[in-house]
Amino acid sequence: MRYLKLYLYFLRFSFSKALSFRLDFFFRIFMDLIYYFINISFFKLVYLHTPLLGGWTQPQVMIFVACYLVIDAINMTVFSSNMWWLPYFINKGELDYYLIRPVSPLFFLSLREFSANSFVNFFMAFGFLIYALISYPVPFSIGELLLFSALIINGVFLYYLIQMLMILPVFWTHSSRGFVDLFYALGLAMERPDKIFKGWLRIIFTTILPFSLIASFPTKIFLEDFEWSALGHLVLVTTIFWILMLTVWKIGLKNYSSASS
Amino acid sequence: MKNWGRFVISMELRKILAYRSDFWLSFLGQTFIQLFVGRALWQSVFEASNVTEMNGMNIDTLTLYYLIAPIGTRILTGENIGFISREIYEGSFTKYLIYPLSFFSYKSITYLTYSLFYSIQLLILYILYSLFYYHSLPDFTHFGFAIAGTLTFLIASVASMSIAMSIELLALWVDNTWSLMVGFRFFMHFLGGAFIPLVFFPEWANKALEWTPFPYFVNFPIQTFMGNISLHDWIKQASVLLLWVLVCATISKLIWKRGQYQYTGVGI
Repeated sequence: MRYLKLYLYFLRFSFSKALSFRLDFFFRIFMDLIYYFINISFFKLVYLHTPLLGGWTQPQVMIFVACYLVIDAINMTVFSSNMWWLPYFINKGELDYYLIRPVSPLFFLSLREFSANSFVNFFMAFGFLIYALISYPVPFSIGELLLFSALIINGVFLYYLIQMLMILPVFWTHSSRGFVDLFYALGLAMERPDKIFKGWLRIIFTTILPFSLIASFPTKIFLEDFEWSALGHLVLVTTIFWILMLTVWKIGLKNYSSASS
Repeated sequence: MKNWGRFVISMELRKILAYRSDFWLSFLGQTFIQLFVGRALWQSVFEASNVTEMNGMNIDTLTLYYLIAPIGTRILTGENIGFISREIYEGSFTKYLIYPLSFFSYKSITYLTYSLFYSIQLLILYILYSLFYYHSLPDFTHFGFAIAGTLTFLIASVASMSIAMSIELLALWVDNTWSLMVGFRFFMHFLGGAFIPLVFFPEWANKALEWTPFPYFVNFPIQTFMGNISLHDWIKQASVLLLWVLVCATISKLIWKRGQYQYTGVGI
């Protein structure tokens, strides 16, 4: 309850901050609109040359695209600004301020800034998801939709965990951004159906760097015949990454010297 | 070039290589991920359509395409987003107004140092690729084309730098230009053909794109690199690219001329 109350304060401050920079507020909406346009156009172009991609038809891929756009929008809204600042706090020795507070530092550092402008974009991505679902020729049951929603939330969480694992090496490398650029490049694997990856590439994207589990697996479980093995794989990898992230965070904090670099 | 120019290049190179492990991991990771993901996508398309070639491209030429495209776009994007706007917001931009050096020369040198560095990386990776893929390399991919393609990327980077400078300089009027820069890069990559080669775009889209600088930024240098353009066509397209360089550079100069009077030097 205390954390919920704290989060409501974060929201209030973030909204008032976003509204102080109104032009930037609209620029960001515009930027995300370009991003959505490019992603949808990309697959529309691909389907000019093929009837199937990774075993999916165009309406199925549109649900997949909407799924990763929603996941990206939630991540941009809830975590992204905070992730941006984390390497800076570690390198400048400003993490002390968060470590001495009577709340979980991970909670504070991960959720302090709520990106209000991206929140507007979340509604656009969500609207596109609704449109893709309505356009799909086969109707869905409430149970299927609830499962899909839960898997999308899992995707957001897994996306956050991988992002953290790419940033936390800053505790040792003291670089300005960690491996964030690599993380964004790897994000490309999240934006493709998992079945296009074969052999060792598939193993990497479903286990070591599980970007295919973020949006493609949820869509697969939702659209295709339900498989417990796929769901079990998703839950297992997310749990392992959660434990791994907490472990790296704790070891990183032990390594943190509070000195500015 | 004056002595300070050489000093700036040397400082920028040191900056690029300051965190070597991060740099190489990020660079190789970004390059190979785009290569493998792009290749996997088109392999899947070819399998589903039961063909081995589409619009004049097969898996080998597409592999080379997706090797060149990510590094080529890095040549174009040069420095990180915020290379001017950050200094305006922090108030450290003042130095360009009081020091006896040209703002445009200084920023162009820092930006193009990055572009030059990535150009060398592109050629090195191309040599490694040739050694690895020699058995299946088509004969048109001569090393001379690779050098010509890289030089074309460098010319295009002057135009993209001028657009980037114009957008960054808008920071003299508005609160934040980061999203505008990201938007510009999205457009440049997609409409230039970095995500999907332009031969897969519909004809009407290609015709419309001819009126924009984007195909000259990405598609033209890649096609030169792959040896798909005759000398006559190269001269024609390079002339259009140079025209875009001129237009973009003039716009950024005009913005700078007007914008410098807006600068307060306070920072936020």
